[in-house]
Amino acid sequence: MTAPEAPETGAPAAPPPDTVTLTIDGASVTVAKGTNVLEAARTLGIDISAFCYHPGLSIAACCRQCLVSIEKNPKLQPSCQQAAADGMVVRTTDPQSTLARKQMLEFTLVNHPIDCPICDKAGECTLQKLYFDHDNADSRVDVPKVRKPKVVDLGPHIVLDAERCILCTRCIRVCDEVAGQHQLEMKHRGDHEELTTAPGQRLDNPYSLNTVDVCPVGALTSKDFRFTMRAWELEATPSVCPGCATGCNVEIHHKQGRAWRLVPRHNPDVNGHWMCDEGRFTYHELREGRLAAPVLDGLPASWDRALATAAAQLEAARAGGGLAVVLSAQATNEDNFALARLAAAWKAKVFSTARPARPERADDRLRDADVNPNTRGVATLLASLPPAGGAAGDAAAFEAALAAGAVKAVVLLGADLPLSDGALRHLRELPVVALASHERGPVKHAAVALPIAAWAETAGSFTNRDGALQRTHAAFAPPGHAVPGWEAVVRLAQATGVKLAWAHGRDVWKDMTAAVAPWKGAAWGREVRPIQLRFANSRG
Amino acid sequence: MGASHGHDAADDETPGPRVLVVSAVSPRVRTIAVERPGPSDVTYLEAARKGLGVTLRHFVKNVLGKRRPAAALARGEEVAKQGLVPWNEIETIQYPEEKTHYPERFRGLHRLMQRDDGAVRCVACMLCPTVCPAHCITIVPAEADDQGVEKKPAVFEIDELRCVVCGLCVEACPCDAIRMDSGVHAKPVEHRGDAIMTREKLLDLSKQVGKDPASTATQGGEGPDWRE
Repeated sequence: MTAPEAPETGAPAAPPPDTVTLTIDGASVTVAKGTNVLEAARTLGIDISAFCYHPGLSIAACCRQCLVSIEKNPKLQPSCQQAAADGMVVRTTDPQSTLARKQMLEFTLVNHPIDCPICDKAGECTLQKLYFDHDNADSRVDVPKVRKPKVVDLGPHIVLDAERCILCTRCIRVCDEVAGQHQLEMKHRGDHEELTTAPGQRLDNPYSLNTVDVCPVGALTSKDFRFTMRAWELEATPSVCPGCATGCNVEIHHKQGRAWRLVPRHNPDVNGHWMCDEGRFTYHELREGRLAAPVLDGLPASWDRALATAAAQLEAARAGGGLAVVLSAQATNEDNFALARLAAAWKAKVFSTARPARPERADDRLRDADVNPNTRGVATLLASLPPAGGAAGDAAAFEAALAAGAVKAVVLLGADLPLSDGALRHLRELPVVALASHERGPVKHAAVALPIAAWAETAGSFTNRDGALQRTHAAFAPPGHAVPGWEAVVRLAQATGVKLAWAHGRDVWKDMTAAVAPWKGAAWGREVRPIQLRFANSRG
Repeated sequence: MGASHGHDAADDETPGPRVLVVSAVSPRVRTIAVERPGPSDVTYLEAARKGLGVTLRHFVKNVLGKRRPAAALARGEEVAKQGLVPWNEIETIQYPEEKTHYPERFRGLHRLMQRDDGAVRCVACMLCPTVCPAHCITIVPAEADDQGVEKKPAVFEIDELRCVVCGLCVEACPCDAIRMDSGVHAKPVEHRGDAIMTREKLLDLSKQVGKDPASTATQGGEGPDWRE
């Protein structure tokens, strides 16, 4: 878990040399040298309005929405660009700067179409929020608005409405600085200025949807999310992207048991403000091919019958020492730990599998070649808990064991088993008990398939490539009769006469952090309930 | 309460039971006179006689009296008494031969307005399902073919069994797409599903009631067209 940022303290007696102390609206604040006035004000809880400023991007100071008065300075200054200096006296509520910001907002609204009813950003729009905060007056414009192109197809994921654009250039900077590809530009001047793609380019990069997040209005909309939900209908639950080993922090935006989009959650140690497009679409899998009830020989069955059958099928292999347990780098630490504990009680051989790496997607930004969220977690677990029934190994070792005939029955976590066709055919002849969230691959041919919750439906943790232990929270209930993975393990243990007593993911976590040395002392933290975005602030 | 308890015992104007003795230890502790009903009251004969008299008076009036005209009755009008025969007080309307009078502010079922080209005016902004206290409106948005409109409802359904006829959907609508002025009473249904009004039914109702199905309002407020 990453520690929350330390709160800024008030002016200490002797400030360190790399800080400056300034006064904003009568309150004194000490910030690091180089901090801009806007950020310094935010540490005091003073939210200066802004469109073009984004803490994760370079400063453009082109929207002029953050103008403030600074003593001994004859002109108003954009607070995002103005570095804080020792002894600076800033006023944000004086009539001059208040009027300037109000007039800037009116200026921004001159050509804005105000089509909030059909705009996807409505409800989380910075322009809407600032209008209600600052202006809240009728339009004084009685000349025709400047018409610009609507529904412009910018790239595979994004649609542009140029009329709504307020020309803040955040999206241009996201492409330049986050994706490192110059694909967007402004053309023309004045009120005919317009966002467009760079010559010969489309908005097509692995981080393109971050432009939709940072857009303060609804100019850029995601084709994936467009016209599906209004922002205020959604609820947000913090989680971790399961797309790759980076483990970008995300918010699941969901409604009534269904996820509608993933958006990045700020974590300076992992992903900053961003995430990749591929990661955003990982939520689609939550609805596809789910296993909602225990399956016995291809037919749905009750948990009791499925567990009794599973126990009977595993009995012989347990006695003969031919039982293999396969952990998964796709599953949470808790699920893997629970199954590893059960494997130890069974004295079974333990293997682990993962989805095969995709080196072509790796870059030096966020995307990793390893497309499993928990490779490091499974490795740490296996290193700390030496399996009682044999050496741990990866999918290749499992294939070798299968070929050698050492495996008589398999308990499989997850549906990802990259084996050769021959090994898979061999696997079909063995009794396989699969604990899986999806019905695909080897799960289809398993003797018993037990339904477990997917990553968005259970409270658990993933360990990312840097070893950061990151919590996920349950956004909604798993489908049908599925239960969290560790709970399915507990049920399977009871059916086979092994006593495992966990009643909550927190209990598994407690045992796990006690048993695994690198995670000793890690805190489970509080349970986070979904927050209704109706009561949230603007995003972007 | 505290004030009434704090009254001085000597205060004769205090309402309530007659005080006989006030305790020397605490003025709050008093002995009061309890007045019980007399022998004529506990038999209830007098009360029964009075009550039966009222019943008899109504009976005679309603059996021998003349019925008021239904229309006047519905409007709640007083009709001048004619001759010696009084009007009776039975407020029965001979439905269905006679129709009851609806209040002026009766709204009836929703209807959906249409554009000049016959398409539904709704742009699926989801404000009505958001504001609806009964959660009776279901809208599934979709991309419209017309780029000037952009958004349309692929599904627009109102569950009239859930609707509480509050009219907030009409207030919320930015496009004058939904109105609640058809004056059509909700129909009795055999199955719950039949009470769900689909987009087509709501548009049809608009044409049936004889009111203008196309809205004269323009998007965005006054003026011929807000965009031109």
